[in-house]
Amino acid sequence: MNVPRPDSGIPGLLARPYRFLRLEWTSDLALLRVRTCVTPIQCFSLAGIAEMQRVLDDISLNPGLVRHLVVSSDVTGVFNFGGDLSLFSLLVRAQDAESLRLYGRKCIDMVWWLETAAQRGVHTTVLVQGDTLGGGLESVMPFHKVIFERSAQAGFPEVLFNLFPGMGAWHYTIRKAGFAVANDMVLSGKLFTAEQLYRRSLVDLVVDDGRGEAALDHVVRSIDPRLRGTLVALQGQRLAAPITYESLSATVDLWAEAALALTTRDLRLMERLARAQVRKVGGADEGALHEIKRIELDTAWGEERTGITEWTTLG
Amino acid sequence: MGDFFMALVESTDQARRDFETHPVALGAVADGLSVERYRKLLLELYQIVWHFNPVCAAAASRIPDSHRQVRYFLYRHMQEESGHEQWVGNDLEAIGVASATLPSHRPSASTLAVIGYNYWTADRRDPCSVLGMMYALEVIASVYGGAFASAVRESLLLVGDRGVSFIGSHATMDTEHMVHLREILNTVEGDSARQAIVESALVNFEFVTRIFAEI
Repeated sequence: MNVPRPDSGIPGLLARPYRFLRLEWTSDLALLRVRTCVTPIQCFSLAGIAEMQRVLDDISLNPGLVRHLVVSSDVTGVFNFGGDLSLFSLLVRAQDAESLRLYGRKCIDMVWWLETAAQRGVHTTVLVQGDTLGGGLESVMPFHKVIFERSAQAGFPEVLFNLFPGMGAWHYTIRKAGFAVANDMVLSGKLFTAEQLYRRSLVDLVVDDGRGEAALDHVVRSIDPRLRGTLVALQGQRLAAPITYESLSATVDLWAEAALALTTRDLRLMERLARAQVRKVGGADEGALHEIKRIELDTAWGEERTGITEWTTLG
Repeated sequence: MGDFFMALVESTDQARRDFETHPVALGAVADGLSVERYRKLLLELYQIVWHFNPVCAAAASRIPDSHRQVRYFLYRHMQEESGHEQWVGNDLEAIGVASATLPSHRPSASTLAVIGYNYWTADRRDPCSVLGMMYALEVIASVYGGAFASAVRESLLLVGDRGVSFIGSHATMDTEHMVHLREILNTVEGDSARQAIVESALVNFEFVTRIFAEI
Protein backbone atom coordinates (compact mmCIF):
# COMPACT_ATOMS: atom_id res chain seq x y z
CA MET A 1 0.00 0.00 0.00
CA ASN A 2 1.76 3.17 -1.19
CA VAL A 3 0.36 6.57 -0.34
CA PRO A 4 1.33 9.21 -2.92
CA ARG A 5 3.10 12.44 -2.00
CA PRO A 6 0.79 14.96 -0.34
CA ASP A 7 1.05 17.50 -3.17
CA SER A 8 -1.13 15.63 -5.66
CA GLY A 9 -4.92 15.28 -5.79
CA ILE A 10 -5.38 11.90 -4.21
CA PRO A 11 -3.36 12.63 -1.04
CA GLY A 12 -5.48 15.69 -0.51
CA LEU A 13 -8.54 13.47 -0.79
CA LEU A 14 -7.08 10.88 1.55
CA ALA A 15 -6.12 13.53 4.06
CA ARG A 16 -9.64 14.86 4.50
CA PRO A 17 -11.08 14.15 7.95
CA TYR A 18 -13.83 11.63 7.22
CA ARG A 19 -16.07 10.49 10.02
CA PHE A 20 -18.04 7.83 8.18
CA LEU A 21 -15.59 6.64 5.54
CA ARG A 22 -12.21 4.96 5.57
CA LEU A 23 -10.13 5.45 2.46
CA GLU A 24 -7.18 3.44 1.15
CA TRP A 25 -5.08 3.97 -1.91
CA THR A 26 -3.37 1.27 -3.97
CA SER A 27 -1.03 3.09 -6.31
CA ASP A 28 -0.13 0.30 -8.75
CA LEU A 29 -3.81 -0.07 -9.67
CA ALA A 30 -4.76 3.58 -9.04
CA LEU A 31 -7.41 2.05 -6.85
CA LEU A 32 -9.36 4.04 -4.30
CA ARG A 33 -10.98 1.80 -1.71
CA VAL A 34 -13.83 3.34 0.26
CA ARG A 35 -15.09 1.54 3.35
CA THR A 36 -18.31 2.95 4.72
CA CYS A 37 -19.03 3.03 8.43
CA VAL A 38 -22.04 5.12 9.40
CA THR A 39 -22.08 3.80 12.93
CA PRO A 40 -23.93 2.39 14.61
CA ILE A 41 -26.77 2.26 12.07
CA GLN A 42 -25.30 1.96 8.60
CA CYS A 43 -27.63 3.99 6.40
CA PHE A 44 -27.65 7.01 4.09
CA SER A 45 -27.58 9.77 6.67
CA LEU A 46 -27.22 13.33 5.40
CA ALA A 47 -23.67 13.52 6.73
CA GLY A 48 -22.77 10.13 5.27
CA ILE A 49 -24.11 11.14 1.87
CA ALA A 50 -22.19 14.40 2.02
CA GLU A 51 -18.92 12.58 2.72
CA MET A 52 -19.43 10.07 -0.07
CA GLN A 53 -20.35 12.82 -2.53
CA ARG A 54 -17.20 14.73 -1.52
CA VAL A 55 -15.12 11.69 -2.41
CA LEU A 56 -16.86 11.35 -5.76
CA ASP A 57 -16.44 15.07 -6.47
CA ASP A 58 -12.76 14.87 -5.59
CA ILE A 59 -12.31 12.01 -8.04
CA SER A 60 -14.02 14.08 -10.74
CA LEU A 61 -11.78 17.04 -9.97
CA ASN A 62 -8.68 14.89 -10.53
CA PRO A 63 -9.35 13.21 -13.87
CA GLY A 64 -7.10 10.28 -14.64
CA LEU A 65 -5.89 9.74 -11.10
CA VAL A 66 -8.36 7.06 -10.04
CA ARG A 67 -8.86 4.07 -12.33
CA HIS A 68 -10.75 1.85 -9.91
CA LEU A 69 -13.26 2.79 -7.24
CA VAL A 70 -14.07 -0.04 -4.84
CA VAL A 71 -16.70 0.31 -2.12
CA SER A 72 -17.48 -2.01 0.78
CA SER A 73 -18.84 -1.76 4.31
CA ASP A 74 -16.84 -1.79 7.52
CA VAL A 75 -19.92 -2.79 9.54
CA THR A 76 -20.06 -6.53 10.18
CA GLY A 77 -23.17 -8.15 8.75
CA VAL A 78 -24.55 -4.97 7.19
CA PHE A 79 -23.76 -3.33 3.87
CA ASN A 80 -26.38 -0.63 4.07
CA PHE A 81 -29.90 -0.36 5.50
CA GLY A 82 -30.82 2.31 2.93
CA GLY A 83 -32.48 5.60 3.73
CA ASP A 84 -32.35 7.24 7.13
CA LEU A 85 -35.77 6.08 8.35
CA SER A 86 -35.84 8.54 11.23
CA LEU A 87 -35.13 11.43 8.87
CA PHE A 88 -37.92 10.19 6.57
CA SER A 89 -40.26 10.00 9.52
CA LEU A 90 -39.35 13.53 10.56
CA LEU A 91 -39.88 14.98 7.08
CA VAL A 92 -43.10 13.05 6.52
CA ARG A 93 -44.45 14.27 9.84
CA ALA A 94 -43.52 17.79 8.79
CA GLN A 95 -45.17 17.16 5.37
CA ASP A 96 -42.05 18.63 3.81
CA ALA A 97 -42.12 17.48 0.19
CA GLU A 98 -39.34 19.80 -0.88
CA SER A 99 -36.90 18.44 1.68
CA LEU A 100 -37.81 14.86 0.80
CA ARG A 101 -37.13 15.71 -2.84
CA LEU A 102 -33.81 17.31 -1.95
CA TYR A 103 -32.83 14.23 0.07
CA GLY A 104 -33.76 12.04 -2.88
CA ARG A 105 -31.73 14.21 -5.25
CA LYS A 106 -28.67 13.87 -3.04
CA CYS A 107 -29.08 10.11 -3.35
CA ILE A 108 -29.51 10.10 -7.13
CA ASP A 109 -26.56 12.43 -7.51
CA MET A 110 -24.43 9.54 -6.17
CA VAL A 111 -26.27 7.10 -8.42
CA TRP A 112 -25.71 9.38 -11.40
CA TRP A 113 -22.00 9.68 -10.66
CA LEU A 114 -21.74 5.89 -10.71
CA GLU A 115 -23.84 5.73 -13.87
CA THR A 116 -21.37 8.06 -15.62
CA ALA A 117 -18.21 6.72 -13.96
CA ALA A 118 -16.95 5.08 -17.16
CA GLN A 119 -17.01 8.46 -18.89
CA ARG A 120 -14.79 9.72 -16.07
CA GLY A 121 -12.33 6.90 -16.71
CA VAL A 122 -13.27 5.06 -13.51
CA HIS A 123 -14.29 1.41 -13.19
CA THR A 124 -16.47 0.75 -10.16
CA THR A 125 -16.77 -2.41 -8.06
CA VAL A 126 -18.79 -3.05 -4.92
CA LEU A 127 -18.44 -5.83 -2.38
CA VAL A 128 -21.56 -6.66 -0.34
CA GLN A 129 -20.90 -8.80 2.74
CA GLY A 130 -24.13 -8.30 4.68
CA ASP A 131 -27.74 -7.13 4.61
CA THR A 132 -28.59 -4.42 2.13
CA LEU A 133 -32.08 -3.00 1.96
CA GLY A 134 -33.96 -0.41 -0.06
CA GLY A 135 -31.66 2.48 -0.85
CA GLY A 136 -28.73 0.28 0.13
CA LEU A 137 -29.53 -2.09 -2.72
CA GLU A 138 -30.24 0.83 -5.05
CA SER A 139 -26.79 2.19 -4.29
CA VAL A 140 -25.22 -1.13 -5.29
CA MET A 141 -26.89 -1.61 -8.64
CA PRO A 142 -25.18 1.15 -10.68
CA PHE A 143 -21.71 -0.31 -9.99
CA HIS A 144 -20.01 -1.94 -12.96
CA LYS A 145 -19.21 -5.10 -10.97
CA VAL A 146 -21.35 -6.29 -8.08
CA ILE A 147 -19.90 -8.97 -5.79
CA PHE A 148 -21.96 -10.56 -3.00
CA GLU A 149 -20.77 -12.89 -0.30
CA ARG A 150 -23.09 -15.89 -0.08
CA SER A 151 -24.85 -15.05 3.20
CA ALA A 152 -25.73 -11.50 2.13
CA GLN A 153 -29.41 -10.82 1.53
CA ALA A 154 -31.12 -7.88 -0.11
CA GLY A 155 -34.48 -6.52 -1.10
CA PHE A 156 -36.76 -3.55 -1.47
CA PRO A 157 -39.08 -3.60 1.58
CA GLU A 158 -40.59 -0.16 0.92
CA VAL A 159 -43.89 -1.49 -0.42
CA LEU A 160 -44.55 -3.05 2.99
CA PHE A 161 -45.06 0.45 4.37
CA ASN A 162 -46.81 1.81 1.27
CA LEU A 163 -43.79 3.38 -0.36
CA PHE A 164 -41.51 2.33 -3.18
CA PRO A 165 -37.76 2.56 -3.73
CA GLY A 166 -37.40 5.87 -5.57
CA MET A 167 -33.68 6.30 -6.21
CA GLY A 168 -33.02 4.06 -9.18
CA ALA A 169 -34.42 0.66 -8.20
CA TRP A 170 -36.82 0.47 -11.13
CA HIS A 171 -34.28 1.81 -13.62
CA TYR A 172 -31.46 -0.53 -12.73
CA THR A 173 -33.51 -3.64 -12.07
CA ILE A 174 -35.26 -3.26 -15.41
CA ARG A 175 -31.98 -2.63 -17.20
CA LYS A 176 -30.21 -5.59 -15.66
CA ALA A 177 -32.99 -8.13 -15.22
CA GLY A 178 -36.07 -6.97 -17.12
CA PHE A 179 -39.59 -5.92 -16.20
CA ALA A 180 -40.77 -9.21 -14.73
CA VAL A 181 -37.95 -9.39 -12.21
CA ALA A 182 -38.29 -5.69 -11.40
CA ASN A 183 -42.01 -6.13 -10.75
CA ASP A 184 -41.35 -9.12 -8.55
CA MET A 185 -38.66 -7.37 -6.53
CA VAL A 186 -40.18 -3.92 -6.11
CA LEU A 187 -43.85 -4.82 -5.76
CA SER A 188 -43.47 -7.80 -3.45
CA GLY A 189 -41.11 -6.33 -0.87
CA LYS A 190 -39.52 -9.77 -0.70
CA LEU A 191 -35.97 -10.50 0.32
CA PHE A 192 -33.52 -12.28 -1.95
CA THR A 193 -30.44 -14.31 -1.24
CA ALA A 194 -27.19 -13.65 -3.04
CA GLU A 195 -27.80 -16.72 -5.19
CA GLN A 196 -31.28 -15.56 -6.13
CA LEU A 197 -29.94 -12.15 -7.11
CA TYR A 198 -27.19 -13.80 -9.15
CA ARG A 199 -29.74 -15.92 -11.01
CA ARG A 200 -31.63 -12.69 -11.78
CA SER A 201 -28.45 -11.08 -13.21
CA LEU A 202 -28.41 -8.38 -10.54
CA VAL A 203 -25.20 -9.69 -9.02
CA ASP A 204 -22.16 -10.52 -11.13
CA LEU A 205 -20.36 -12.79 -8.73
CA VAL A 206 -21.27 -14.74 -5.59
CA VAL A 207 -18.44 -15.99 -3.41
CA ASP A 208 -18.32 -17.87 -0.16
CA ASP A 209 -18.28 -15.83 3.02
CA GLY A 210 -14.79 -14.59 3.75
CA ARG A 211 -13.74 -14.83 0.08
CA GLY A 212 -14.98 -11.36 -0.89
CA GLU A 213 -11.64 -9.60 -0.57
CA ALA A 214 -9.88 -12.16 -2.73
CA ALA A 215 -12.65 -11.91 -5.32
CA LEU A 216 -12.33 -8.13 -5.35
CA ASP A 217 -8.62 -8.34 -5.96
CA HIS A 218 -9.12 -10.86 -8.73
CA VAL A 219 -11.82 -8.81 -10.46
CA VAL A 220 -9.87 -5.56 -10.35
CA ARG A 221 -6.59 -7.13 -11.48
CA SER A 222 -8.28 -8.95 -14.34
CA ILE A 223 -10.00 -5.79 -15.58
CA ASP A 224 -7.07 -3.41 -15.19
CA PRO A 225 -5.01 -4.60 -18.21
CA ARG A 226 -8.02 -4.09 -20.49
CA LEU A 227 -9.48 -1.11 -18.67
CA ARG A 228 -9.71 1.34 -21.60
CA GLY A 229 -11.64 -1.11 -23.73
CA THR A 230 -13.85 -2.12 -20.82
CA LEU A 231 -14.74 1.48 -20.01
CA VAL A 232 -15.58 2.31 -23.61
CA ALA A 233 -17.68 -0.84 -23.84
CA LEU A 234 -19.51 0.12 -20.65
CA GLN A 235 -20.22 3.57 -22.09
CA GLY A 236 -21.66 1.82 -25.13
CA GLN A 237 -23.73 -0.44 -22.89
CA ARG A 238 -25.25 2.61 -21.21
CA LEU A 239 -25.99 4.20 -24.58
CA ALA A 240 -27.76 1.02 -25.61
CA ALA A 241 -29.88 0.95 -22.45
CA PRO A 242 -29.95 4.58 -21.38
CA ILE A 243 -30.97 5.89 -17.98
CA THR A 244 -31.34 9.65 -17.73
CA TYR A 245 -30.91 11.97 -14.78
CA GLU A 246 -34.27 13.50 -15.68
CA SER A 247 -36.00 10.14 -15.33
CA LEU A 248 -34.30 9.43 -12.00
CA SER A 249 -35.27 12.89 -10.81
CA ALA A 250 -38.91 12.49 -11.89
CA THR A 251 -39.03 9.22 -9.94
CA VAL A 252 -37.70 11.00 -6.86
CA ASP A 253 -40.50 13.57 -7.22
CA LEU A 254 -43.06 10.76 -7.34
CA TRP A 255 -41.43 9.08 -4.35
CA ALA A 256 -41.56 12.32 -2.32
CA GLU A 257 -45.25 12.79 -3.10
CA ALA A 258 -45.95 9.19 -2.12
CA ALA A 259 -44.06 9.63 1.15
CA LEU A 260 -46.28 12.54 2.12
CA ALA A 261 -49.29 10.23 2.02
CA LEU A 262 -47.85 7.77 4.55
CA THR A 263 -50.14 7.16 7.50
CA THR A 264 -49.40 6.60 11.16
CA ARG A 265 -49.66 2.83 10.50
CA ASP A 266 -47.09 3.07 7.71
CA LEU A 267 -44.74 5.06 9.93
CA ARG A 268 -45.19 2.48 12.69
CA LEU A 269 -44.08 -0.24 10.27
CA MET A 270 -41.07 1.88 9.36
CA GLU A 271 -40.36 2.24 13.06
CA ARG A 272 -40.55 -1.53 13.49
CA LEU A 273 -37.90 -1.88 10.84
CA ALA A 274 -35.81 0.82 12.48
CA ARG A 275 -36.12 -0.96 15.84
CA ALA A 276 -35.06 -4.20 14.20
CA GLN A 277 -32.03 -2.48 12.70
CA VAL A 278 -31.14 -1.27 16.15
CA ARG A 279 -31.44 -4.79 17.58
CA LYS A 280 -29.12 -6.10 14.89
CA VAL A 281 -26.63 -3.38 15.77
CA GLY A 282 -26.91 -4.44 19.38
CA GLY A 283 -25.73 -7.90 18.44
CA ALA A 284 -29.06 -9.69 18.19
CA ASP A 285 -29.27 -12.59 15.76
CA GLU A 286 -32.47 -11.25 14.29
CA GLY A 287 -32.39 -7.91 12.52
CA ALA A 288 -34.25 -5.96 9.92
CA LEU A 289 -34.50 -8.91 7.52
CA HIS A 290 -36.37 -11.01 10.05
CA GLU A 291 -38.60 -8.08 10.89
CA ILE A 292 -39.44 -7.65 7.20
CA LYS A 293 -40.49 -11.28 7.09
CA ARG A 294 -42.64 -10.78 10.17
CA ILE A 295 -44.23 -7.62 8.74
CA GLU A 296 -44.96 -9.41 5.49
CA LEU A 297 -46.49 -12.32 7.33
CA ASP A 298 -48.55 -10.00 9.53
CA THR A 299 -49.77 -8.23 6.43
CA ALA A 300 -50.50 -11.49 4.69
CA TRP A 301 -52.55 -12.77 7.63
CA GLY A 302 -54.29 -9.43 8.00
CA GLU A 303 -55.26 -9.18 4.38
CA GLU A 304 -55.59 -12.89 3.69
CA ARG A 305 -53.07 -12.56 0.93
CA THR A 306 -51.30 -15.45 -0.67
CA GLY A 307 -47.98 -15.94 -2.38
CA ILE A 308 -45.71 -15.75 0.64
CA THR A 309 -44.41 -19.26 0.51
CA GLU A 310 -40.92 -18.16 -0.47
CA TRP A 311 -40.45 -16.63 2.94
CA THR A 312 -40.15 -20.01 4.48
CA THR A 313 -37.21 -20.80 2.27
CA LEU A 314 -35.30 -17.74 3.35
CA GLY A 315 -35.25 -18.28 7.08
CA MET B 1 -31.13 23.24 0.92
CA GLY B 2 -34.01 25.61 0.32
CA ASP B 3 -35.94 26.91 3.30
CA PHE B 4 -34.98 27.46 6.91
CA PHE B 5 -36.72 24.32 8.16
CA MET B 6 -34.54 22.15 5.95
CA ALA B 7 -31.48 24.17 6.92
CA LEU B 8 -32.35 23.46 10.56
CA VAL B 9 -32.83 19.76 9.83
CA GLU B 10 -29.45 19.62 8.13
CA SER B 11 -27.61 21.72 10.72
CA THR B 12 -28.85 19.59 13.56
CA ASP B 13 -28.98 16.20 11.83
CA GLN B 14 -25.85 14.86 13.45
CA ALA B 15 -27.04 15.94 16.90
CA ARG B 16 -30.31 14.09 16.22
CA ARG B 17 -28.41 11.01 15.12
CA ASP B 18 -26.10 11.30 18.15
CA PHE B 19 -29.22 11.07 20.30
CA GLU B 20 -30.68 8.24 18.22
CA THR B 21 -27.47 6.24 18.27
CA HIS B 22 -26.46 6.77 21.88
CA PRO B 23 -26.24 3.28 23.40
CA VAL B 24 -28.86 4.03 26.05
CA ALA B 25 -31.31 5.46 23.51
CA LEU B 26 -30.58 2.57 21.13
CA GLY B 27 -31.20 0.07 23.87
CA ALA B 28 -34.35 1.84 25.05
CA VAL B 29 -35.87 1.89 21.57
CA ALA B 30 -34.88 -1.71 20.85
CA ASP B 31 -35.59 -3.38 24.17
CA GLY B 32 -37.31 -0.87 26.44
CA LEU B 33 -36.13 0.00 29.96
CA SER B 34 -36.28 -1.50 33.40
CA VAL B 35 -38.97 0.04 35.57
CA GLU B 36 -36.35 1.76 37.73
CA ARG B 37 -34.72 3.46 34.78
CA TYR B 38 -38.04 4.37 33.20
CA ARG B 39 -39.08 6.01 36.48
CA LYS B 40 -35.85 8.00 36.51
CA LEU B 41 -36.41 9.10 32.93
CA LEU B 42 -40.01 10.21 33.51
CA LEU B 43 -39.01 12.10 36.63
CA GLU B 44 -36.52 14.10 34.57
CA LEU B 45 -38.95 14.56 31.69
CA TYR B 46 -41.57 15.82 34.11
CA GLN B 47 -39.32 18.79 34.88
CA ILE B 48 -38.77 19.58 31.23
CA VAL B 49 -42.49 19.38 30.45
CA TRP B 50 -43.35 21.41 33.53
CA HIS B 51 -41.06 24.23 32.42
CA PHE B 52 -41.98 24.01 28.72
CA ASN B 53 -44.84 26.49 28.80
CA PRO B 54 -43.11 28.97 31.15
CA VAL B 55 -40.13 29.01 28.76
CA CYS B 56 -42.52 29.61 25.86
CA ALA B 57 -44.24 32.37 27.81
CA ALA B 58 -40.91 34.01 28.64
CA ALA B 59 -39.99 33.93 24.95
CA ALA B 60 -43.40 35.18 23.81
CA SER B 61 -43.14 38.18 26.13
CA ARG B 62 -39.84 39.19 24.53
CA ILE B 63 -40.53 38.52 20.87
CA PRO B 64 -40.50 41.77 18.89
CA ASP B 65 -43.47 42.80 16.78
CA SER B 66 -41.44 41.98 13.68
CA HIS B 67 -41.89 38.32 14.62
CA ARG B 68 -45.43 38.58 15.92
CA GLN B 69 -46.45 35.46 14.00
CA VAL B 70 -44.08 33.49 16.25
CA ARG B 71 -45.70 35.03 19.31
CA TYR B 72 -49.17 33.99 18.15
CA PHE B 73 -47.83 30.51 17.35
CA LEU B 74 -46.49 30.24 20.88
CA TYR B 75 -49.84 31.28 22.35
CA ARG B 76 -51.60 28.49 20.44
CA HIS B 77 -48.92 25.95 21.23
CA MET B 78 -48.93 26.74 24.94
CA GLN B 79 -52.69 26.18 24.95
CA GLU B 80 -52.21 22.75 23.33
CA GLU B 81 -49.43 21.72 25.69
CA SER B 82 -51.11 23.00 28.82
CA GLY B 83 -51.51 20.24 31.40
CA HIS B 84 -49.29 17.72 29.63
CA GLU B 85 -47.11 17.45 32.71
CA GLN B 86 -50.11 15.71 34.25
CA TRP B 87 -49.79 13.01 31.58
CA VAL B 88 -46.25 12.39 32.80
CA GLY B 89 -47.56 12.36 36.36
CA ASN B 90 -50.21 9.79 35.42
CA ASP B 91 -47.57 7.61 33.73
CA LEU B 92 -45.43 7.83 36.84
CA GLU B 93 -48.42 6.79 38.96
CA ALA B 94 -48.90 3.80 36.63
CA ILE B 95 -45.38 2.63 37.36
CA GLY B 96 -45.52 3.17 41.06
CA VAL B 97 -44.42 6.79 41.67
CA ALA B 98 -46.98 8.83 43.59
CA SER B 99 -47.67 12.32 42.25
CA ALA B 100 -47.22 13.70 45.74
CA THR B 101 -43.53 12.84 45.57
CA LEU B 102 -42.89 14.84 42.37
CA PRO B 103 -42.20 18.21 44.04
CA SER B 104 -39.50 16.65 46.20
CA HIS B 105 -37.66 15.09 43.25
CA ARG B 106 -34.31 16.72 42.65
CA PRO B 107 -33.65 17.03 38.90
CA SER B 108 -30.31 15.95 37.51
CA ALA B 109 -27.67 18.53 36.62
CA SER B 110 -28.33 17.95 32.91
CA THR B 111 -32.04 18.60 33.35
CA LEU B 112 -31.38 21.76 35.32
CA ALA B 113 -28.81 22.86 32.75
CA VAL B 114 -31.09 22.52 29.74
CA ILE B 115 -34.02 24.17 31.49
CA GLY B 116 -31.74 26.98 32.62
CA TYR B 117 -30.33 27.36 29.14
CA ASN B 118 -33.81 27.56 27.62
CA TYR B 119 -34.82 30.38 29.97
CA TRP B 120 -31.51 32.16 29.50
CA THR B 121 -31.45 32.05 25.70
CA ALA B 122 -35.06 33.25 25.51
CA ASP B 123 -34.15 36.12 27.82
CA ARG B 124 -30.65 37.07 26.78
CA ARG B 125 -29.90 35.61 23.34
CA ASP B 126 -32.94 35.72 21.08
CA PRO B 127 -36.49 34.80 22.07
CA CYS B 128 -37.01 32.96 18.76
CA SER B 129 -34.56 30.40 20.14
CA VAL B 130 -37.56 28.80 21.82
CA LEU B 131 -38.39 27.29 18.43
CA GLY B 132 -35.12 25.35 18.58
CA MET B 133 -36.15 23.86 21.90
CA MET B 134 -39.55 22.98 20.45
CA TYR B 135 -37.96 21.42 17.36
CA ALA B 136 -35.61 19.16 19.30
CA LEU B 137 -38.29 18.04 21.76
CA GLU B 138 -40.87 17.54 19.02
CA VAL B 139 -38.47 15.46 16.90
CA ILE B 140 -37.59 13.27 19.87
CA ALA B 141 -41.24 12.89 20.86
CA SER B 142 -42.71 12.31 17.40
CA VAL B 143 -39.96 10.40 15.58
CA TYR B 144 -38.77 8.21 18.44
CA GLY B 145 -41.69 8.41 20.87
CA GLY B 146 -43.80 5.74 19.17
CA ALA B 147 -41.05 3.15 18.97
CA PHE B 148 -39.89 3.97 22.48
CA ALA B 149 -43.43 3.66 23.85
CA SER B 150 -43.84 0.27 22.13
CA ALA B 151 -40.54 -0.97 23.54
CA VAL B 152 -41.33 0.20 27.08
CA ARG B 153 -44.85 -1.24 26.87
CA GLU B 154 -43.41 -4.62 25.85
CA SER B 155 -40.59 -4.63 28.38
CA LEU B 156 -42.78 -3.60 31.33
CA LEU B 157 -45.86 -5.53 30.21
CA LEU B 158 -47.98 -2.38 30.29
CA VAL B 159 -51.45 -2.42 28.80
CA GLY B 160 -52.54 0.12 26.18
CA ASP B 161 -51.39 3.67 26.87
CA ARG B 162 -51.14 3.11 30.60
CA GLY B 163 -47.70 4.23 31.69
CA VAL B 164 -46.68 5.43 28.21
CA SER B 165 -49.35 8.02 27.45
CA PHE B 166 -46.89 10.90 27.38
CA ILE B 167 -44.02 9.39 25.42
CA GLY B 168 -46.42 7.97 22.84
CA SER B 169 -48.59 11.07 22.62
CA HIS B 170 -46.74 12.86 19.81
CA ALA B 171 -46.17 9.83 17.63
CA THR B 172 -49.38 9.89 15.62
CA MET B 173 -49.69 11.86 12.42
CA ASP B 174 -52.92 13.57 13.43
CA THR B 175 -51.27 15.98 15.86
CA GLU B 176 -49.63 17.87 12.95
CA HIS B 177 -47.23 19.54 15.38
CA MET B 178 -44.29 19.10 13.02
CA VAL B 179 -46.28 20.60 10.16
CA HIS B 180 -47.10 23.72 12.14
CA LEU B 181 -43.56 23.96 13.45
CA ARG B 182 -42.13 23.75 9.91
CA GLU B 183 -44.52 26.43 8.73
CA ILE B 184 -43.62 28.86 11.51
CA LEU B 185 -39.89 28.18 11.22
CA ASN B 186 -40.01 29.09 7.55
CA THR B 187 -41.37 32.52 8.46
CA VAL B 188 -38.43 33.40 10.70
CA GLU B 189 -36.17 35.99 9.09
CA GLY B 190 -32.78 37.23 10.23
CA ASP B 191 -29.48 35.55 10.92
CA SER B 192 -29.55 36.26 14.64
CA ALA B 193 -32.90 34.56 15.20
CA ARG B 194 -32.03 31.63 12.93
CA GLN B 195 -28.65 31.06 14.56
CA ALA B 196 -30.26 31.15 17.99
CA ILE B 197 -32.81 28.54 16.89
CA VAL B 198 -30.11 26.23 15.54
CA GLU B 199 -28.03 26.64 18.69
CA SER B 200 -31.01 25.94 20.91
CA ALA B 201 -31.91 22.79 18.98
CA LEU B 202 -28.32 21.55 19.26
CA VAL B 203 -28.18 22.26 22.99
CA ASN B 204 -31.52 20.54 23.61
CA PHE B 205 -30.54 17.45 21.60
CA GLU B 206 -27.24 17.34 23.48
CA PHE B 207 -28.79 17.58 26.93
CA VAL B 208 -31.67 15.23 26.30
CA THR B 209 -29.06 12.74 25.12
CA ARG B 210 -27.18 13.28 28.38
CA ILE B 211 -30.37 12.83 30.39
CA PHE B 212 -30.93 9.48 28.67
CA ALA B 213 -27.30 8.54 29.22
CA GLU B 214 -27.53 9.26 32.94
CA ILE B 215 -30.62 7.26 33.82
